[in-house]
Amino acid sequence: MRPFKYTPTSTVSAATQKIFANPGAKYLAGGTNLLDLMKEDVEQPNELIDISRLKLTGVKTIVDGTNQGGVLLGALDKNTDTANHPLIRQNFPLLSQAILAGASAQIRNMASNGGNINQRTRCPYFYEVSMPCNKREPGTGCGAIKGINRMHAILGWSEQCVAVHPSDMCIALAALDAVVKVQGPDGKARTIPFLDYHRLPADTPQKDNTLNPGELITAIEIPKNNFANTSYYLKVRDRASYAFALVSVAAALELDGNQIKQVRVALGGMAHKPWRATAAEKFLVGKEATEANFKAAAALEMKQAKPLEHNEFKVELGQRAIARALMQAKTGGKA
Amino acid sequence: MLDEAKNGEISYVTSDIKTSKGPVQLSEEEIRERMSGNICRCGAYPNIVDAIREVHTGKEVAQTGSL
Repeated sequence: MRPFKYTPTSTVSAATQKIFANPGAKYLAGGTNLLDLMKEDVEQPNELIDISRLKLTGVKTIVDGTNQGGVLLGALDKNTDTANHPLIRQNFPLLSQAILAGASAQIRNMASNGGNINQRTRCPYFYEVSMPCNKREPGTGCGAIKGINRMHAILGWSEQCVAVHPSDMCIALAALDAVVKVQGPDGKARTIPFLDYHRLPADTPQKDNTLNPGELITAIEIPKNNFANTSYYLKVRDRASYAFALVSVAAALELDGNQIKQVRVALGGMAHKPWRATAAEKFLVGKEATEANFKAAAALEMKQAKPLEHNEFKVELGQRAIARALMQAKTGGKA
Repeated sequence: MLDEAKNGEISYVTSDIKTSKGPVQLSEEEIRERMSGNICRCGAYPNIVDAIREVHTGKEVAQTGSL
């Protein structure tokens, strides 16, 4: 084990300033991902800034501002508490479903919402320190692109990195147009639209997101929507539970009779970031909510897919999953 | 796990997450989902599921698994 300094903090400004002062430091919240990565020697922080006691908790209805009537999630609320909260179950069941599709009860009991968003890829070449990995060690190459890449990306990847974002929760947040609220070491707060928060790998796969140095997630906002009765999170995996997604789909519809007024489709297990299926959405708006239209939209989205040697199956699987998730959403989650 | 269900905590396979209040009935599917992740998937072996059903319902459940 590598020695590290442990620094508890009690305010956001102290935490952000401490981490800004030491580029080798990392924030510690639930620790469900970071501690694993430290044991594997993938992450080697020389200091852990413990933020777990900061008062960044509480699921609340937003009472003013642009997202009035939406909901605010605390960055340090546990995944379990968020999924079970009556406001989320009632108004944003897509988010409850997505959270509950991830990890196990024990992990969700520890994992924070902010940590879920900032968790790192589970690409085995990222985890195995004897292998090359541009994300772990920039410039060493990508072990996965010519390696075993069955679980890897089919959309938006680069020659430098074909890893996927592992979160389920984030796929629902991407579909629901969430906004990430962050605060920097200079005390300045800013908001980042969820789709701009994570990035595609391009030539800098070591950067998972667009946070500036020292910035800390303080809350997540989800705007009000009319999707509560017509949304569905479909996760397809190698076994029924406790496994990462091969592909996953967060689908939400707002219908006028059988006509689609609004639609959101976000995809997991396919890209370096939660992937909003904008081509499929654009195709569907104004059309009838029929299986034929859902299938056509799915095919259109998957046309952009560029599979690797071992994951060509994800193209058709993804296409079918999109159509099925939309059908399930239409019927309120019932098959 | 029995307490979580009693407290009304939902799981991925709970069908009425919007409306259900109070204790969640532990179907076989619910037990398997909730027990997965205990060590790995081993917690959802047939006899373990039967044993949990027996404790949850207070009624004897024939053990179906064979070794």
